[in-house]
Amino acid sequence: MRNISIAAAAALTLCLTAAPSAHETEEGKGQLGKVSFANSCDAKVQNELQRAIAMLHSFRFTAGEKAFRHVLEDDAACGVATFGIAALLMNNPLAGQGASPKAAETAAAAIEQGRRIGAKTQRERDYIEAVASYYADFANKPERARQASRAQAFEALAARYPDDDEAQIFAALYIAGTQSQADQTYAAYLKAAAVLEKQFAKYPDHPGVAHYMIHSYDAPPLAERGLPAARRYASLAPDAPHALHMPSHIFTRVGAWQDSVGTNRRAADVAKQDKNSTEAFHAGDYMVYAELQLGRDQAARKVIDELTSFGNLDPGVFPGHYAAAAMPARMALERGDWAGAAQLPAHGSRYPFVEAITTFSRALGAARSGNVAAAEADGEKLAAQHKALLDAKNSYWATEVEVQRTAAAAWIAQARGQRDEGLRLMRAAADLEDKNDKHIVTPGRVLPARELLGELLLEQKQPAAALKEFELSQQREPNRFRGIAGAARAASEAGDRAKAQALYARLLELGREADSPRPELAQAKTFAAAR
Amino acid sequence: MPSRRAALAGAAATALVLGGWLADAAAVMSAAEEDESLARDEDYAAGIVALQAGNFAAALPRLQAALKRFPDAANLHNELGFAHRKLGRYEPAFVHYRRALAIDPRHRAAHEYIGEAYLAVDDLAGAERHLKALGEICLLPCDEQQDLRRAIDAHRAKSRPR
Repeated sequence: MRNISIAAAAALTLCLTAAPSAHETEEGKGQLGKVSFANSCDAKVQNELQRAIAMLHSFRFTAGEKAFRHVLEDDAACGVATFGIAALLMNNPLAGQGASPKAAETAAAAIEQGRRIGAKTQRERDYIEAVASYYADFANKPERARQASRAQAFEALAARYPDDDEAQIFAALYIAGTQSQADQTYAAYLKAAAVLEKQFAKYPDHPGVAHYMIHSYDAPPLAERGLPAARRYASLAPDAPHALHMPSHIFTRVGAWQDSVGTNRRAADVAKQDKNSTEAFHAGDYMVYAELQLGRDQAARKVIDELTSFGNLDPGVFPGHYAAAAMPARMALERGDWAGAAQLPAHGSRYPFVEAITTFSRALGAARSGNVAAAEADGEKLAAQHKALLDAKNSYWATEVEVQRTAAAAWIAQARGQRDEGLRLMRAAADLEDKNDKHIVTPGRVLPARELLGELLLEQKQPAAALKEFELSQQREPNRFRGIAGAARAASEAGDRAKAQALYARLLELGREADSPRPELAQAKTFAAAR
Repeated sequence: MPSRRAALAGAAATALVLGGWLADAAAVMSAAEEDESLARDEDYAAGIVALQAGNFAAALPRLQAALKRFPDAANLHNELGFAHRKLGRYEPAFVHYRRALAIDPRHRAAHEYIGEAYLAVDDLAGAERHLKALGEICLLPCDEQQDLRRAIDAHRAKSRPR
């Protein structure tokens, strides 16, 4: 979009107005990045309107809607503000759940208000109609049809106003919002990313551009391309909680652990200031996961202690509970502390899939400590948790718990000496997990099933087969400490010294700042010394 | 619907509460979000309550209304199949069960129920196909497999000439 100076704009009544390349740093209101949305609203609402647009770009739903409504209060003729309200009520367009029926009613009222007010330019009226396309016949359309209508409408808007960069950016967002999980070519993501890359070159400080690029590359084979935007986003909108945490989704996918620790540290601090325990725990889990990959066990322990003493979690919101159960489980499992894992206390939430994290860890810990009876008891609990999820029609989490239950059964079989049965079950668990994408609530499963398959093969003295599984696991979840350590050991035992050497070197590099004596690091040093 | 799978509406409503958190999270579309959206749907919830009460005729229009918004929800097709089957309407029941299985080939309940529907139309081979499928899906023993096996055994016993 061409930036139009506010002085020139103010000279004309009812003219097209743009904010003075609004770097949103008003005192007390926080930094949200630079946005310049051309509009014909009164000069007195420009700052608030640009802030509201910036909030829309960082998915600040409640605050953003409030800001757009303030604009309307101060300038009742600013019809385009209703576009912003309706856009925010669509919820996260990349999460798939869409607007709630109640939000759709509110949005329809806002759109009607916008039509009644009648924005002063055709372009602004077109923005309102573009967002209206999503809500048309809302009750009788599936979400994916609404998403398709929305993308089509915003693409048409972008084509009609080729010089309007905000239109190009919104179109890219809504194109990305049509990405189907089934499409492994990621056609929609890549189409959106192509638009956004050009915009990123023009507007490196625009919150929407960096943000939507991260989402458009939030898939395992694309994640590497999202790194520049991920590193940029957190710094340009440090007062948007989503901007602080979101980049770590990319950092986790590519195994950039230091980056993940840094951005989640800030996200947790902001969440704690806001007394938002859910967000603090969520950021904390990502941080613990990253610290453990660096062999920084003491640092991970400090995060857990810090959050445990921070405050209570809302029993009705699961992400905090997920993190609270996952963090101690990771602490035990990532370090191979099987006895510790077997003793983990139940978290005590209402969510079977959260409780299953602990149950699985206990079962695996007991089986790998040789306590078959205890492992079987927890295996039965996992079966009950799986059934509870099936009964609740929660298919996604039922599958996740089924993977855990099957993996636990595999290690129980191994402990009983039923090696073939153990392998059959562990392979089935890994195959099943591969078909179920990880949920956004988690940086990763407490242990990836395919990595566990590699470990089982190592136990069964099949190092070449184990190496293959570790390498496959690393494709999905790269740069994991246990994955690299397992692969290095497998390569060594398979007689591939060159590969073992390279992998042990990688492990030593990964654990350069380790704060705990991990045995794998000692092995790596021994291997390097023996050359 | 068997009672062991009956307490779903309340459980789904509580287990799937996301509050506003998900809105502030990054995501690709996932099965979890679809489960959650369906669980929040008013027509779906009302349909489930009617199913639990054994009021299959009342359940149908609510589930069909939800289907407009969730045409690819395997659970919803399975429940539509169940309502039709209980009303003795086997043709639409099979259509919905097959659709559920096309969407989610590992849907255990749909395998069990379509197997029971095959028994209702005296197609023992059809039921056994789904029992075999359950054997492959349930890596460890599962209720659906055991229930369908029992139903097949009962059907065989009933059909045996005395």
